[in-house]
Amino acid sequence: MTTTSGEARLPTSAAGPAAPSKGPRAGAVARERRRNAYILLAPCVVVLIVLAIYPMFFSGVLSFRVDPLYNPNVARFIGWRNYDDLFHDFRFWQSIRLTVLWALIVVTIQMVLGFFLAILLDRKMRGAGLLRSLIIIPVFISPIAMGLTWRFIFEPVAGLANWIVSKGLGLEKYSWLSHKDTALSTLMIVDCWQWTPFVALILLAGMQSISTEITEAARLDRIRGTAYYTRIVIPLIRPVILVVLLLRLVDSIRIFDLNFIMTKGGPGSSTLMASVYDYTIFEQGHLGLMAAYGFLILILINIVVAIFLNTLYRAEKAARLADAKN
Amino acid sequence: MRQDATTRAINVLAVVVVAIWLIPVVWVALTSIKPTKVINAAEPTFYSFVPTDEHYIEIFDRFLFHRAMINSLVTVGVSTFIVMLLALPAAYAVARMGLAGGDTWALVILSLRFMPGVVVVLPYFKMANGFGLIDSQLALIVVYTAFGLPFAVWLLRGFLLDLPKEVEEAGRLDGLSWTGIIFRLILPMARPGIAVTAIFTFVFSWNEYLFALFLTYDKATTMPVALQKTIDLYNVLWGSLSAGAVIQLLPMILVVFLLQRHIARGLALGAVK
Repeated sequence: MTTTSGEARLPTSAAGPAAPSKGPRAGAVARERRRNAYILLAPCVVVLIVLAIYPMFFSGVLSFRVDPLYNPNVARFIGWRNYDDLFHDFRFWQSIRLTVLWALIVVTIQMVLGFFLAILLDRKMRGAGLLRSLIIIPVFISPIAMGLTWRFIFEPVAGLANWIVSKGLGLEKYSWLSHKDTALSTLMIVDCWQWTPFVALILLAGMQSISTEITEAARLDRIRGTAYYTRIVIPLIRPVILVVLLLRLVDSIRIFDLNFIMTKGGPGSSTLMASVYDYTIFEQGHLGLMAAYGFLILILINIVVAIFLNTLYRAEKAARLADAKN
Repeated sequence: MRQDATTRAINVLAVVVVAIWLIPVVWVALTSIKPTKVINAAEPTFYSFVPTDEHYIEIFDRFLFHRAMINSLVTVGVSTFIVMLLALPAAYAVARMGLAGGDTWALVILSLRFMPGVVVVLPYFKMANGFGLIDSQLALIVVYTAFGLPFAVWLLRGFLLDLPKEVEEAGRLDGLSWTGIIFRLILPMARPGIAVTAIFTFVFSWNEYLFALFLTYDKATTMPVALQKTIDLYNVLWGSLSAGAVIQLLPMILVVFLLQRHIARGLALGAVK
């Protein structure tokens, strides 16, 4: 293998570094290309360091300070006290638990429903493309616009949801978002409404990339129905499933917009998830404390991502390598 | 023939599911043209009302929504352009130049996408404050650039990896320099990927709320923040809200119809490569 061509990798090949060069000439070419690569990469990396990594660092420093928004003069370094305060705040633990619970439930629902929705949309009928375009609309609408619209739908008097429930099921009209026991599930419905199509369409793209030879072979082997999906489709689109899962998990943990616009954490603290709780800390003016909590959310996300990459993704790569060798 | 009947039944089911799924979107569109009395009636209706444009007039007259529209267009448009300018070369370097540890670079860059907004919003707020940029379009442009960049690099990388690996070889045989290869071969071939990436970057900032909430309050507010102003503690102007929401989502629907096919594929590509 010479190093003259850019290394576009097939999904089956191991992702390795550039092949070792042969001879001084090839070495010079490779060196020049590497230099060019760094030149191309540099602006992006510089911008990210200045605008993403530096602010993160800034936030880290801030988390060790007391820094009242309304009284900046008393700002000073206080060590671990912000973290200590948080660890002794039961509402902090409650919000973390709630966030993790939220992420697990909504992501599970979205993955399962999304898979079925993908199967449903994976057909060769006229207008299938139109259906796919229509179903992805919720993904592109701002959570603010949609959250407010859903608030109207769940509105106790004139809301559509109550009308359907009272006409269709004969139940009493109910104030969904202002009761502790229904507010969280109502939020979940909205989140799933918005993100299930996202999961579905990506899984669908994965399904449609399965080659016709494989589907044909499966058909000849009389593998159909459930067996076709569990034995052929899921193993083949596993990388796609994993990435959607990761994206959805992280975004669910970070959830702010929908939570903020629909309930602001209420009623009581029944929907007070991490980011919104962090925002209420800001509203009270405790900037240092806010930064500390923000950092803890970041750590939580990193733990999830690390676990994810280490277990699932590694196993995935190993499996792919084994496939490639056979 | 039984098979045919089942297929048809599933087709019908698909249509029904999509139709039900879209009821909220239809509902917001209907609400935006209903007279206020009909909106607040205890019996919701899908059709028996006389359409009105009062909410569209109100959202512009009273809530000055056109200012928010311009702010959104400017901040989101400019930041998307800058993101693409930075992301394209970076993605090319990571994907196709045999960069040592190219995958690691991609992963590190992607990991920045996972950063929760609440972690960095405070530094942004303080920095903007220090530079006197609170409530300015510039502050939002800078922040949206930073936040759009990681995902853009990752998406583009997927598309670029998907191009046949012989492209550079062929270009070199034709005597093209490496810049020639990029501009004459790679960019034209990657056009759908570039479009999809630009769209995703655009949509993210178009819908973004947290940073806009912190960094603007009047002159530079974008549409999501402006929408929120239609609610106060005791009263929600559902009609104006819906009108604003429709204005905000119309361009998104257009985008979806133009690029649906590429959108899903692009995300899946990023996943597989």
